[in-house]
Amino acid sequence: MFQQQNQTAMQQTPFPEDAWANTVLCDLKRVVREYATAATESSCPEVRKMFTSLTNSTLQMQGELFNAMQQANMYTEPSPALRQDIQKNIASFQQKQQQTQQFLHQRMSGQAAQPPMQPQAQSQQPYMQPQMHSPQQYVQPQIPQPLQDHQRQHFYS
Amino acid sequence: MLQPLTGKEIQYISDSMTNEDLLMKQCACMATSVGNAGVSQLASRMVMNHQQNYATLLNSLYQHQTMAPSSPQS
Repeated sequence: MFQQQNQTAMQQTPFPEDAWANTVLCDLKRVVREYATAATESSCPEVRKMFTSLTNSTLQMQGELFNAMQQANMYTEPSPALRQDIQKNIASFQQKQQQTQQFLHQRMSGQAAQPPMQPQAQSQQPYMQPQMHSPQQYVQPQIPQPLQDHQRQHFYS
Repeated sequence: MLQPLTGKEIQYISDSMTNEDLLMKQCACMATSVGNAGVSQLASRMVMNHQQNYATLLNSLYQHQTMAPSSPQS
């Protein structure tokens, strides 16, 4: 009896059209992650290349579907992050950056360690900073050489 | 250069083919049930993309078939 009612309800209520798009969007996001994992776990270079290409093509499709859903008002925008949250993160990670630079300087004393870059206030290009990884600024870390006695003291001071 | 597939790679390929198979069916349903023309057309295009991805994965299995050992290796 209950089963019959259930079957009738299923026949009468179609799967909402927005739900299809959301289901596919979620699955595309999951598949992008799985392809990326598969690429990192592949030992055959050809298989790695295939999974890398599949990651990119799926990522492309996911982006296109997201844009189409946004244009069709099928996607609810999340509320924007508050300015104080961004400022809190900047302060926290600036401190972390300084600590890491200090650590790198100590570990690699005698080799080229870059001073931390200070982001400029009121910049119009937030994504340009800090420019730690630009080709001009970034110095590839080298394998540490055995330390001299005067350098060794530096670790424990 | 092709190397014999590992057990892990086979597992990822087979999982991926299951995913692609599911996605092409879902996209076909989406193409016919969504009212918005843009989303519907995109869904039809995605069906073909997933078919292509499935074929790529299947092709990689064919390519590795000949170089795979027929008995377990140490």
